[in-house]
Amino acid sequence: MNSLTPAIQTQSLSKIYDNGRGCRDITLTVGQGEAFGFLGPNGAGKSTFVKTLVGLVSASSGSGLLLGEPIGSLKARAQIGYLPELYRYPEWLTGEEVLKFHAGLLGIKGKEMNMQIRTLLDEVSIGKRGLDRVKQYSKGMQQRLGLACALLGNPQILFLDEPSSAMDPVGRREVRELLLELKKRGKTLFLNSHLMQDVETVCDRMALMLNGNMIRTGTVEELLQVQVRWRFKVGGFSTQSLEWLRAESGLNITLEDPNYNPAQDWESPVWLQAEIADENQAGLLNMLIMEQGMTLYESSMQSEKLEDWFVDTVSGQDQRGERG
Amino acid sequence: MNMIISATWKEMIRRKMLLIAAVLTVLFLAVYWFIGDTVSGEVHGDLLMQVARRNAILSLGFFFAGFVVAFLAIFGSFSVISGEAEQGILQSVLTRPLPRWKWYIGRWIGYVTLIGAYALLLFAALLWITNIHAGLTRDYGDILVSLLLFLGAVPILVSASMLGSTLFSGIGNGVFMTMLYGASWLGGMVEKVRSILPVEENVQATLSRIGTLLSLLTPADGLQRRMLFVLTQGSDERIPFLTGGNPPSDTFVIYSAIFVVFAFGVGLWLFKRKDF
Repeated sequence: MNSLTPAIQTQSLSKIYDNGRGCRDITLTVGQGEAFGFLGPNGAGKSTFVKTLVGLVSASSGSGLLLGEPIGSLKARAQIGYLPELYRYPEWLTGEEVLKFHAGLLGIKGKEMNMQIRTLLDEVSIGKRGLDRVKQYSKGMQQRLGLACALLGNPQILFLDEPSSAMDPVGRREVRELLLELKKRGKTLFLNSHLMQDVETVCDRMALMLNGNMIRTGTVEELLQVQVRWRFKVGGFSTQSLEWLRAESGLNITLEDPNYNPAQDWESPVWLQAEIADENQAGLLNMLIMEQGMTLYESSMQSEKLEDWFVDTVSGQDQRGERG
Repeated sequence: MNMIISATWKEMIRRKMLLIAAVLTVLFLAVYWFIGDTVSGEVHGDLLMQVARRNAILSLGFFFAGFVVAFLAIFGSFSVISGEAEQGILQSVLTRPLPRWKWYIGRWIGYVTLIGAYALLLFAALLWITNIHAGLTRDYGDILVSLLLFLGAVPILVSASMLGSTLFSGIGNGVFMTMLYGASWLGGMVEKVRSILPVEENVQATLSRIGTLLSLLTPADGLQRRMLFVLTQGSDERIPFLTGGNPPSDTFVIYSAIFVVFAFGVGLWLFKRKDF
């Protein structure tokens, strides 16, 4: 394995269950040190794909490698950390004992084990509560313990299935910061999440799964097909001014309210929208607006959110599916 | 694998399964002491009656012991795979660089050794109390054979229970195993009833076939009947005396060993291929 070996590589990987659900024909490459987000509605096949990669389910067809080792092999499993979507730990053990058990499975012993466990318990904010039995842990605490388990042994690839789903907003932020820190340390992150903010903040690239198929993949910008949209709130507006602005700037400028009536609404400020290439064009428009004697109350950028894109794409696909 | 074995022991101890069993066993042994004292107290000279009463005491003791060991084996292990997978405990373990067979064998050894140790102590306690009140055979070979037969129920039930756990849900397997053990126990009862009832030969033959078939479902109860026979009559005897029904044959004992190997092997094979 060298630095050019992809961390995750699959070729037409499929896992189809008896009920026909699962994931189909997924070809994907994730580089070392890359943070990859896996999006999709419930039942899209995200967890099945991850379970196939970590060796919990056997592939129906296709193949996959983790750092050059076949998926499911002991060598591949030695290099991964996995936080399952359904995370539970033996409630008769303490948090520390759970970590010791997992460390033993990884062949980590003695001082090295104790040091790693202490560090990880602090890193996931469990600290001294590591001495409590798991049955006394809240769901969020168990998820933190799961994260610590996944990080044991300093794995190269981390598969995290909804890593902060049970946490409060503070916990979510802590997890997000931890993920960013792990990314800095060069870990490969494979993140299954419904939390768009996490994916948007942490991931370099992402894919969208729907009905078992991977329908889109790319960077956030590529997926959103980012077209910067600028909004201007202006007073003293007239339709002649709009025509002049369009002619002078050469940009597509529109009124946000399609029902604007100049006869009735001439005293109220209006919202204008313009599709622009960069902030320089926005500056030019600000200047032209003022040149026309209009009052500029506000000028701001409006970009599409990943969440809006996700909802639009998924509902659009659903509608096409229903029509089909 | 040692880690898996010790984790299994820790689980059974921390979940207080053994503690509850131990407390109830102590209570039972106190009652058993009283029964032994009462039943054997009046008999002195009549050797035949002494033997009969000793056998009756042993039958009572091992009736309880057989059930306790069987239920401990069943309820200790019935949810080991499906139950842990349903809860989400197994998923993080099986992604570690540990071959699945090691996990399966480690769990099996963990259950069999701990429940086996409990069964050994219970066996010794019952024999000790019986010896005090009614005397006991001094043929240590027979005692050893009886012990091995008594302990034999543990791997049978653990193997069957772990196999069931690869196929059914946690609760489903608990019900399945209880029914299976109940059916084989019923097989033994049918055998005993057949030997007592004054019925025609063809009816006896039919009842014997039904009893044998039921006993084959899980041979744990059959082995315990054989154990009681050896303990009371000696391993050389072939005619049942005061124990009711024919004791399971040598072939049945061999079948039991094959049953363990088969159930264990199929369970392991299924587990290695199971999706979680």
